[in-house]
Amino acid sequence: MSPYVAFGDPIFGIWNWLDVVVRTVLLVTVMTVVVMYLIYGERKVVARMQQRLGPMRTGPYGLWQSFADAIKLVGKEDIRPTGADRWVFESAPFATFIPVLMVLVTLPFAENWGVRNLALGMFFVFAVLGLNIVGIMMAGLGSGNKYALLGGVRAAAQMISYEIPLVLSLLAVAMVAGAHATGDNALNLNVISTLQEDRPFIVLQPLAFLIFFTAMLSELHRAPFDIPVAESEIVGGYFVEYSGIRWSMFQLTEYAAMWAFSIFGSIVFLGGWEWPGGQDIGWGWQLALTLGKSFFLILVIFWVRTTVPRLRIDQLMNFCWKVLLPMSIVQIIANGFILVYEWPEELLTVTSGIGAVVLIAIIITRALRRPKQSLVGAYRQVQVPVR
Amino acid sequence: MSSTLPPVPAASQSPAETIVEAIRRNLPHVPFAEGQTATDTDLAVAPEHLLALVTGLKTRKELAFDFLRNIAGVDMEAEGLVCKYQLYSFKHGHALQITVACPPDNPRLPSLTGLYAAADWHEREAAEMFGLIFEGHPNPKNLLLEEDLRIHPLLKAHPLQKVEILQGIEEGPPGFKF
Amino acid sequence: MSIWPEERTYTHADGFETVDMTINIGPQHPATHGVFRMVLTVDGEMVVDCEPYIGYLHRGLEKLTENNDYRQAMGFWDRTDYLAGMACEGAYCMAVEKLAGIEVPERAEYIRVMLMELSRINSHFMFLGAFGADVGSFGTSFVYAWRERERIYDLFEEVTGDRMFPTYFRPGGVAMDLPENFEPRVRWLLGSIRQGIEDLDRLLTGNEIFVERCTGLSPLATDRAINMGVTGPVLRATGLPWDLRKAEPYSIYPRIAFDIPTGRQGDIFDRYFVRLAEMYQSARIVEQCLEQIEPGLVLNPKLPKNLRIDNGECYVRNEGTKGEYGVYALARGGNKPYRMKLRSPSFCNLAGLREMVVGNYVADAIIILGSLDIVLGEVDK
Repeated sequence: MSPYVAFGDPIFGIWNWLDVVVRTVLLVTVMTVVVMYLIYGERKVVARMQQRLGPMRTGPYGLWQSFADAIKLVGKEDIRPTGADRWVFESAPFATFIPVLMVLVTLPFAENWGVRNLALGMFFVFAVLGLNIVGIMMAGLGSGNKYALLGGVRAAAQMISYEIPLVLSLLAVAMVAGAHATGDNALNLNVISTLQEDRPFIVLQPLAFLIFFTAMLSELHRAPFDIPVAESEIVGGYFVEYSGIRWSMFQLTEYAAMWAFSIFGSIVFLGGWEWPGGQDIGWGWQLALTLGKSFFLILVIFWVRTTVPRLRIDQLMNFCWKVLLPMSIVQIIANGFILVYEWPEELLTVTSGIGAVVLIAIIITRALRRPKQSLVGAYRQVQVPVR
Repeated sequence: MSSTLPPVPAASQSPAETIVEAIRRNLPHVPFAEGQTATDTDLAVAPEHLLALVTGLKTRKELAFDFLRNIAGVDMEAEGLVCKYQLYSFKHGHALQITVACPPDNPRLPSLTGLYAAADWHEREAAEMFGLIFEGHPNPKNLLLEEDLRIHPLLKAHPLQKVEILQGIEEGPPGFKF
Repeated sequence: MSIWPEERTYTHADGFETVDMTINIGPQHPATHGVFRMVLTVDGEMVVDCEPYIGYLHRGLEKLTENNDYRQAMGFWDRTDYLAGMACEGAYCMAVEKLAGIEVPERAEYIRVMLMELSRINSHFMFLGAFGADVGSFGTSFVYAWRERERIYDLFEEVTGDRMFPTYFRPGGVAMDLPENFEPRVRWLLGSIRQGIEDLDRLLTGNEIFVERCTGLSPLATDRAINMGVTGPVLRATGLPWDLRKAEPYSIYPRIAFDIPTGRQGDIFDRYFVRLAEMYQSARIVEQCLEQIEPGLVLNPKLPKNLRIDNGECYVRNEGTKGEYGVYALARGGNKPYRMKLRSPSFCNLAGLREMVVGNYVADAIIILGSLDIVLGEVDK
């Protein structure tokens, strides 16, 4: 399996550094377009769920809406509050954007399609994504605004907490991959994809996937974990003071991170470009698989956002430290026993499946512990005697 | 057609008499004059007896007026400011109005905030709108008007005019000059 | 030192200096439902003090009423609780009728009650939608509620000619009779409303996070609620079945069977639930009115051309959508009221905000404010 560890060959035989530049520029261009249509897609999906039409005016079915918005945002005045710390305030959008871009650098969209194929790909991803918080804290502290300060501090607390279950859930997968991979390249994302030729890792580790998805929502500040940006409380949180191009950088970061996380999740858990039949059919199918899976995950994120309210910060922390963290640790211990003693692979599915069922059961039993009966249908039972 | 309407409930006389009698029996030391409005029994007291009366109304079990509905100031021009209190008893379902007429030159009243938390904002509103002074109010700031505005718009003497003109910030009547 | 002058700094014995952090919420803030401002003093995320500021929408309702005659002034009154304009008109007309001794034809009473109850449903829909948005459900509840509100407004437009501020009631009846297709329209509308309530019930009550956020938050005891002057659904949520439609019945309510939904501990969930249950009761009332209403006059034919009231004083209260909507009226001759005072339920409920908010999280402060269901037009008069 060693060929995947090597860097991809430079296209057209040009110098290596030029190849990096060309690929990065291509990636950023693609990413920008994808982000624009993610925003459009979110507006359309949410509108559909809310019995509305969404953007309809700009182009057919409003397809050019995001471009129009982008032009408007670029043309807007870049306002800096008097109380803001100038350099911190102005560089914060870039400090949040760069980690996301660096994550995208190592993601394989198809076999060997990516900017660079790093041997420690998975490690690199969550190491770099953790840096996101620096930019958010810079925005929160530098804006000279209390909403932004609260948002930044909330974001920091939340991201530090949820980083742990996120990493532990990925660790569980890495253990499984390490047992299957030959050599020490089990953290390479390409290798992880090829290891899922027969079945995606979600089959082996459903609990890890649930924890990963929950922590991902939290890292992305999407509902129900959108506490740092809580629209109805602190009006946008850390980017409340930004306008124009800097604000759109934050928006770009948010959606690019969502896309990057979804691709990462689909590679690690859903089989990436490999499952089903990626290597047999060719790069077109591989690309379609990666993008299709990531867009499915994004659709789920939109769906969740439309339906659920927001958690409070203490409930969020309780959920992280008292539910997700113990379950991921238990899963790692179970994985360890199974893999060290080389028990059959189905046992992984069973243990993790039980864990997933327990997690869902916790949520459902709490939901069923409702204080009063539902009102639905109560009206119809009452027959009113009229005088 | 209107004969089939149900009788108007609040104006019936017999329970109203018993309220007044009960008050007289329970609070013999408080002088008041009784009256009747279109909806409620009305008690007229002097400002110095207000606190004693209301304390008795609230604490005596037979009266138990535990709900302060409303405080309305009225500017009676030459006769001075009048303050109307509407009380209600959840226990007995009695409603009562208390009329306190201040002397024209001394619009001072005791504050009821110690008895009813609800009196807080009502008194602040009456104070800013009429210039009534509620003694013992914990937070006598303007509520609806600007904090530093010292006008009393609901006085009859107050003209129907923009505040800025009265303050001298703007000149003349509002609107475009043609 | 803090750059915000209203913040207090404390120097401790060891030379350590701490600053109270204040957060200004409003007047322009998505959670304040209008132009309301509150300054929260926070310790981290915990609210330690709250100072509400109102009056941004003060339009001098009482002064205007004193300077316009009885019929003109009514137009101002449906601008108070602008989510349920008809209920305010009803209270105003009842006050004038009480002062002048005007009788209202029976059909007009039924029409009034129907429209007032539809207004109540309308206002509670607004509450449900906005409350869902406060808790953070990204407007889905809002749009669901808005669908039904549009239909109710369409009916209002058909009946009265206007959607929000109809000025349809008159002292002595209503301005015109109902349109011919009123009954089938309303029956269809009630079905639609019931569907809308069920949708919102499933969306919000069926959501674990929503229940988790609201249950047990800021419970209110009945005694304290009465002392603070809180009325309406917020009082009923504490467990006291006190509704002016039953306690001091007016209009045709004694003939109509309906229940008073109550809560248990007066927390945010109870307030939400009481309002939800009240909407069913309002639909019941409208349905019974449709069965009982008979043809007849809608405006008292013996009304004077120029309404003059020599002497009179009354405090008319009715159950507005937010609580006890009281109108104190004093007439001393002439065709204008000498004094009219609005006892607005939102105003009195909001007065208790400080006590409810202190000790909770900032995020919960927003929900508590939302659960009071204030309308700033009514608070600021």
